[in-house]
Parts: sequence; structure tokens; C-alpha cells
Amino acid sequence: MTELVQNLIDAVALGSLYALIALGVTVIYTVMGMMNFAHGEFIMLSAYALYVLAGLPFAVAVGGALVTGVLIAIAAERVAFRPVRKADLSAQLVTSLAVATILQNIVMGAVDARPKSVATPGFISESTQLGGVSVPNLEFLTLGLTAVVLACLGWLLYRTRAGLAMRAAAENFEMARLLGVQADRVIALSFAVSGALAAAVGVLLVMQTGQVSPTMGLTPVLVGFVAVTIGGFGRMFGAVLGGLLLGVIASLLGAYLPESLLPFRDAFVFSLPVAILIVRPHGLLGAATGEARV
Amino acid sequence: MLELRGVKVAYGGVEVVHGVDLGLAAGEVVGMIGPNGAGKSSVLRAVCGLARPSSGEVVFEGRVLNGMAPERIARLGLALVPEGRHVFKSLTVAENLRMGMRRNGNGAAALERTLERFPILRTRAGEHADRLSGGEQQQLAIARALLGQPRLLILDEPSLGLAPKTIDLIYELLTGLREEGTTMLLVEQNAARTIDFCDRCLVLGAGRVRVEGRREELEGDSDLLHTYLGGQP
Amino acid sequence: MSSGRLHSPALIAVSLLVPLALVALTMAVGANGTPALQGTVTTILCNLIIVLGLQVFIGNSGVYSFGQLGFASAGAYVAALLTLPATFAALQTPALPHLVASAQLGPLLSTLIAAAACGVLAAVVGLPLMRTSTLAIPISTFAFLIVIYNVLANWDRISGGSSGLVSIPRTTGIASAGLWAGAAVVAALAFKWSARGYRLQATREDEVAARSLGIGVTRERLIAFALSGVLCGIGGALAAHQSGVLIPTTFYFGATVTTVTMLVVGGARSVFGAVLGTITVSTVNEVLRNVEGGAHLLGVVSVGRTPGLAAIGVGLILLATMIAMPDGLTGGREAGGLSRGPRLRAMRPILGSTTNGAVEPARAEPAGGSALCAEGVSVAFGGLRVLRGVDLTLRRGEALGLIGPNGAGKTTLVNVLSGFLTPDTGAVSLDGVDVGGRSPARLARAGLTRTFQAALPFPHLSVLESVAVGAMGVGVGRRQAVAVATGVLDRLGMREQAASRAGSLPPASQRLLGVARALATGPRYLLLDEPAAGLSEIEGEELVAILRGVLEDFGCGVLLIEHEMSVVMSLCPQVQVIDDGVTLRVGSPAEVQADPAVVEAYLGSSYLAAASA
Repeated sequence: MTELVQNLIDAVALGSLYALIALGVTVIYTVMGMMNFAHGEFIMLSAYALYVLAGLPFAVAVGGALVTGVLIAIAAERVAFRPVRKADLSAQLVTSLAVATILQNIVMGAVDARPKSVATPGFISESTQLGGVSVPNLEFLTLGLTAVVLACLGWLLYRTRAGLAMRAAAENFEMARLLGVQADRVIALSFAVSGALAAAVGVLLVMQTGQVSPTMGLTPVLVGFVAVTIGGFGRMFGAVLGGLLLGVIASLLGAYLPESLLPFRDAFVFSLPVAILIVRPHGLLGAATGEARV
Repeated sequence: MLELRGVKVAYGGVEVVHGVDLGLAAGEVVGMIGPNGAGKSSVLRAVCGLARPSSGEVVFEGRVLNGMAPERIARLGLALVPEGRHVFKSLTVAENLRMGMRRNGNGAAALERTLERFPILRTRAGEHADRLSGGEQQQLAIARALLGQPRLLILDEPSLGLAPKTIDLIYELLTGLREEGTTMLLVEQNAARTIDFCDRCLVLGAGRVRVEGRREELEGDSDLLHTYLGGQP
Repeated sequence: MSSGRLHSPALIAVSLLVPLALVALTMAVGANGTPALQGTVTTILCNLIIVLGLQVFIGNSGVYSFGQLGFASAGAYVAALLTLPATFAALQTPALPHLVASAQLGPLLSTLIAAAACGVLAAVVGLPLMRTSTLAIPISTFAFLIVIYNVLANWDRISGGSSGLVSIPRTTGIASAGLWAGAAVVAALAFKWSARGYRLQATREDEVAARSLGIGVTRERLIAFALSGVLCGIGGALAAHQSGVLIPTTFYFGATVTTVTMLVVGGARSVFGAVLGTITVSTVNEVLRNVEGGAHLLGVVSVGRTPGLAAIGVGLILLATMIAMPDGLTGGREAGGLSRGPRLRAMRPILGSTTNGAVEPARAEPAGGSALCAEGVSVAFGGLRVLRGVDLTLRRGEALGLIGPNGAGKTTLVNVLSGFLTPDTGAVSLDGVDVGGRSPARLARAGLTRTFQAALPFPHLSVLESVAVGAMGVGVGRRQAVAVATGVLDRLGMREQAASRAGSLPPASQRLLGVARALATGPRYLLLDEPAAGLSEIEGEELVAILRGVLEDFGCGVLLIEHEMSVVMSLCPQVQVIDDGVTLRVGSPAEVQADPAVVEAYLGSSYLAAASA
């Protein structure tokens, strides 16, 4: 029984990590209609900030990671995505692929292609007893951080003027502009939020694995994409749901797959979207029905 | 206040407006009517910055609006209530109204005035906008536009899809606005009501102005019927 | 102007020979070079086959798949396992079935088997994936790439795991790679210009219009996906037999970016572009690779070791291309180019001309009555009731006008009739058969075609190609389709514009092209949505003449939504007025014009009062 509870907690923790990734991807998608391949590199670069700031107190380094994520995202938007804003979605997708490659290889060249270890505070690798169940502190942290992030995102979106503008623009960009909302600012803000979410994920990944590598963003971005796809495009709630589902399944597969099949866990997990899309081609919740253009 | 000089509008190579002239003075209420496809909405889109005139000029209080971003034009004091209303369905009524308010903070008084004029919005302030009926959504869209204290209010087919009684209500509201001196440009397909309501009307057909005049001149005019239905009455 | 060919022999020859010549040139450069250069050239040729595989799917469908290198990987492994000497097989892949492990096939046979295996794999994988939305395909194919990688990297006992396979016989040389590449060029071009290829291209140009012409989007994508898998598999197999070594990361993310870049830089829609892009990007890649290791640029500047420089360079090229030159170096055109037709004045059809190009609808008379009927159709969007119990009957050989104020529901009704919208209640029947729920493509193949208010042209196809697609959409073979198209263009007086790009036509011509395209499907019932919008009075008259002739020649039923009253009244003996979702009146034009209810609907009651005062 305790094993089941243990596994469930593991699953939810992983699910919330995936939900964070999915949210980062969805924020940009809802406002711009674009799936951002480079999101993985936003995660990776934020993680590398921890590596670079290794000597400083951990809290400061985390702050540095946050700043990095936000700045990289805003810069990418300004330099690479704004010029192709009017292009069709395939073109934007390929552009994000280019950005991802460039960022990944810059880090490979500037630092190293090999993983580097990053020291994390000791308590993270320990566990806490909770009524007979031993829960790694990292998972508490993940769940806690996710909760905090969701609360902040909720506050931003539902309690601030800027967030209101974002939600309005996500539903009907043209109408928002007609009411005076500045397109450039809203898009920059959504990238900034996406970058902040990427930073949170980057930090958590470093704490989980204890290392950084230039290719560490590849699987997370795929996770994000897949989660958004199965949750239904354009819905923030769908992204969270998709991420949770994916994480829970990945985690439970990891716990209960027979030994011989364990190495193929990723294959099972990423075949999942296909199965869902066969039955519901527009995702579990269906695509968000945006308002028609003005 | 607003002047259109030889404005042409083309979408993807297809020219739909072949040169329209229009003048609107402060305090005037001008209507644009005509059958579907005549180009009325295209003219409005050109004014609000959603489409760039391929030729001609749109001038608002001395400023040329051609090529300006729609958000800048909105901040200059033009407010559009678009065809189909386009309230933000995922936002509440109150949030929709907030979207209309200017950022300079004197919104509270304007909000109060608006809620007095549109009492139904006060009642349903916390509900999501997609729960409102068509007529209520239209009121919300107008209120939202008014909250920005626009110098010019443009309405694109406000009676579209509404029941006759609701249309009466909307026009009562518009009458009240007119009495307060709001400058309005009104686009409608229903000719009679618009001719009746506006100081002056332009009749568009196939991308051009066919007839223009005041109510007395237009009512019963056979050119008007011809534009809509062809042939002789 | 040529007598109704899609492409002149000269154009075909040039479009084929130029890329082949480039391939030959590349081979020649390599053949006379150092072993290192030979290796590079062979790699370029193998990459070319993969890029051509990408072109077949991405270029023709307009949809990006990021999983094609999964097929390259699969092909490489299948071929390698078949050629691996038995002793090595036993060492590296102990769990391999004895049949395969002991097999030691030659390069040709192993490549062919790998190709077939990849085709099957692509068909199986593609079946669910192609049904999803255009945005989901890039993502799910990306997932496929990772799944393949994961399987290959972990199935140690079959694939050698993450250390992969070594001692693969190095049988690929410049000659074999070059020959396969040449064959791939021919195959890609042949596919692109086949009826199937055209149908797929139509879905890229405008998916909605393609559906309305009878094209099954999912099916066409799936076929191209499978063909693409075959080509990528061949490229992978050959590459593995050049290097002699194969690991799961050989064909993974980096290679995906590189090959996509090659395609995009050249111009995705063009086979020539694939060749040009591959050579260009490979060259830049090679130069940067050399610099990576530390080199002297131009003998002057010294650059230290910069790993990743080549990949960054490739990424920058891709980025720059997307921003500045999204159609690539070739602009999407083949080497033979697409001749620019004479800059258009509007069509001047020769009224009353009957050329030999008159086309017979290719179907037998139906047993049931000959009419398209809607009964009691109701549609509501949310709380808004757009259609409320509308009936409509369109008989063959008759013209029915559909008029009514804006928002009355006319286009919605046409959407219901043509299968783009399912009504909440009510039924639609075609020649006595209930067709509720059938897709637009199926209806087109059953004889019901519609046009759109917005023309929806195929911008990159020529006028002749566009119209021929209409015939191909309902299953007509390529040659017959061209004959049909030529006939239709003659009938509509558009023969001179046959070679012009559809996207460069003026608006009136694009609308007429939409009608021509629909006619090429040989419809029994033709639904026209505002074909006269934006036309001048004279152009409107010409359109009427054309449509009248069409009615006589084709004998189809024509439903005409129009606001241009002169067009409706002169063409249609019967007119149906719809207002606020219900039918107000069905009658002759004169009756309708005089009906007070109709006048009131358009102009309001006070107009009537004033008019009669």
C-alpha cells in the first residue's frame, strides 16, 4: 500500500513538472498560435545559469536562472520571431527550430558538449518521512514550486491589467488591438512568462539530475508539445491536464513496467499521444474555439 | 473630424472599395448603408487600421491614419464596435468593461455613468460574457467602446442578428448618445431605420458611393431600391 | 500556346535534366578528388536522397514532418542487419533471428528490402498521424522520431543499443549513391507532377478548396508520407554502408535540422530546390566543419577550435532563410520554371463560341429523381439560430437564385448542402439518396461541387493545373484531366491564361477560375457563392453569358448566391429569398421584387411606407 502511495506521489510530482513545461509552451501558443521549439533551450539556458553562478548562494543562483530565462525568451522574440510574425505557422515552427539549434550549439561551443555537474543544496537529495511514506524532498519542492508558479500565473492573468490584456489577446488578438492593447507588448510579455516558466523547470531539472548538458532541453520540449497536443491546443487548463497525464503515466510506467521493458519507457510514453489522437484528433479537451477574427 | 479621400481597399489583390469619399464633422451622426458585399465593412476596417488603404487617405482630426497600427488609432480616440460584437467570451462582463477603460485612471466616474446607462451590465457584471444574450452582448460591446471616451464611435451593423424589440432598445441607447453629442459613424444593412436615425446617409453599392443625402432626400428614392434589389420597383 | 499539356516537353526536360546534371557534376567533383572529398561527396548524395524524401512529403503537402529521419534510421538498421557478416551479427546483435543474422545480402537487395520495410512502417505510423490536424502532425512525427531513437538505443540485443553497429560492409560509393540519387530525383518529380501529387499540392495550396473538389486530404498525405519513408529509408541504408558505423544518434535531431534546412534553403516546393539546397548547405557545412577544427581563413585569419560552429552556421542559415527568403533559393519553382503568362486584362470570352472542348459530365443518369433537396434544415451556432427549417429544391438543368440580406443564412445553407456543415435537424438528399453527414470530398465525387465567396485559388499552380486538379479530384486520370481542363478553359475563354500562375490573376479572373475548377469536376449540381462580387457591370454580363452557356452544355443544376441583382435576375427563372433563417418567398424575379415582405426585409417597413406615400 505504501508503495502505491509512494508511486502516486512520484507520479504527481513528475506530472506537475510536465505541467509546468506544457504551460510554458501553451502561453506562447495561445497568444501567437506558434509552438516554440526553442522552449527547450530556454529551459537549458536557465539551467546553465545555475552552473555559471555555482559559487553564489543557491537562492541567488536561482534568481539568476529566472532572469536568464526571461531575458533569453524576450531576446529570441525580438530578434527571431518578430520578423516572421506574419508568416504561416509552419514557417514559425521551423524558425523556432533554427533558434533552438543555434542556442544549443552556442552552449556546446562556449562551454562543452559534455554534461557538467552542478552542486545543489544538500537537503534536496534527502527524503522526509510522511506517515510511513518516504518522500524525496525534491518532490516536495517540485509540488510546492508548481503550486507557487500556478498561483503567480493565476495572479498575473486574473488580477493584473497586463494579464487581462494577455487573456483578451489570446482569445481575439484583433479585437484587443482595437481596444488599445499593444501587440508588441503583449507578445513580449507572453514570452517573458514563458521564459520564467522555463526557468522554473530548468532549476527543478538541475536539482533532479545534478547536472546540465546542452541537449537537456530536447526531451522536455517534446514533453511540452505532446502534453499540449493531447490536452487540446490553446487551452491553459488543457496543457496542465496533458502534462499531468503524461507525467503520471510516465512515472507509473517507470514503477510498474517489467524489467525488460523498462528501457523502453519513453517509447511507450510518447506513443501515447498517437493513441489519444486516434480517438480524439483534437485532443482530450478539443482545441480552444477562438473567436472569429474581427 | 474624419475625412476619407478617395479611399480604395484591396484584399489579396481583390479591390473591394473603388474610391470612397466621406466627411464627418464633430457631433454628426452619419450612416453607411448598402447591400452585403458593397464594401461597408472594408471601409471601416480601413479607418480603424485593420486594413491598409491601397490608395487614398484616411484623415482623423488632421492626422493621416494610413498604415497606423490599430492600437494607436484606438488611442487617438476612435472606437469600433465591430460586426458580430466580439465580446471576449472567456472574460466576465466586468473584465470586458475593464478592457475598454483607458489607463489614465479616471475610469471610475466613466464606469459609473456607463453602468447607469446600461443597467443590465451591472446586474450581470460577474458572469462570463458568453452567457449574455445577443442584445446584451451588443450593449456590452457598446459600453466597452464608450468607456474609452472616444471622440468617434463607429458601429458596424449593431442590429445584425437581433430581434426587432432588441434593436429598438439598442437604438434608444444610440439616440441617447446622439443627444449627448457623441459623433457616430453607423454602418447598417437595414436601410430604413438607419436613414431615419442618422443626420446623413451614404449608400454604398459595389464598392462605390451611389447615393448620398439626408432622410427626406433618401426615403422613397428609387436609386436606393435599385442598389439593393435591381430592376424597377 | 500548347495544345492542352500541363507542361511542355521542353519544360519537363529542363526540370529533369538540370537537377540530374547537378548530381552528375557533384559525382564528377568527387570522383577526381582525394578520398576525403570522395567521402564527403558520397555523404552529400546520401543526404540528397533523404532530403528528396522530405521534399516529397513536406514540399507537396505543406505540412512539416520532423520524423522522417526516423525512417532513415530504420532503413539504415534494416539494411545493415541484413548485410552484416554472420560472425559480427552474433557478436553485436545476439537476439537477431537466425534468418536475418545469417543473411549476408548484397547492397542492392538489402537496400530494396529496407526501402520496402520503411514504406510499410511509414504507412502504419502515418495512418493515425495523418488524421490529426495540421499542427499536430509536426509534433506527433517528432514524437515518432524520439520513439524510434528510444527503441533503437535500448533494444541492445537486436540493434546493438547505444553503441550501435560496426563493421557494416562499406559498399556505398559515389557511383551507387549517385545512381540512387538520380533515381530519387526522377521519382520525386514524377510524383509531384502525377495526379496524386497534384491532389496533394492542392491540399497545400488551399485545403478547403481541395476538399470541395473531391480530394481526400488524409489519404493523399498518407501516400506521400509512405513514399517519403521509402526514400528516407534508402538514403539511410546507403549512408550506413558508406561509413560502416551506425548509431542511433546518426539520424536524430541534428540530422533532422540539417536536412530540413537543406530543403528550406533550396525551396521546399521544388525538387530542384532540394538538390540545390542540399549542395549549398552541405558545402557551407563542410567549410565550417573545417574551420571548427581550427583553421586559417583565407590564409590570413586564424580561428581556434570552435566545436558546434557548423551547426550554428546551419541554424543561422535556416533562420535567415525563414526571415528573408522563405520560399528558398528557387522560390519553389522547378528548373524549367513556370512561365509568366501575359499580364492580364480581364477575360473577354467570345460570346456564343462553342469549341470542340465541350466536356460531357462523365456520369450515367441516376435512377431516382434528379434534384438536390434540403428539407427542414435548421442550424444554430450557440444560441444563435441561423437557419430555421429551410427547404430548397434544385433540379438538374435549372438555375435557382438564392438571395437575402446579410446574415440571413445563405452561405450557411450552402455549407450544409455541400457537406461542410452538419445541420442540427433536417435532411439533404442528392438524386433521392440521403447524403447527410457525407464529407465535401465525397459529395464532390458524387456530383455536387461548390465555389467560395473568397475564390480560394491555388496560388502557386498555373491556371491549367488548377482546373485539371478539379478533374483529378474526382478521380480522373492525369491525361484525361488535362483534356477536361483544356475544354473548360476554352468554354470560359480562359485559354490564353492557361500557363499563368493562379495567384497572379486579377480578382475577377480568380473567381472565374474557381468556377472553371468546379466545372472540371463534371458536377451535376453546382453551387456558386457570389461569383459576381466585385465585378463591373460589363463583367457581370459576361459572367451571365458564360453561366447560361454552362447550363446548356453541362445540364447541371446551378444554385446561385448573389447580391448582384442584375446577375440573379437575368440568369435565374426562379429565386428563393431567405431572411433571418427562413424562406420568405420562392418565385420569379419579378414576383420577388414586387413582394412587400421581401422589400421590407431588405429596406425596412418605413421604406415601403415612404415609397407608397
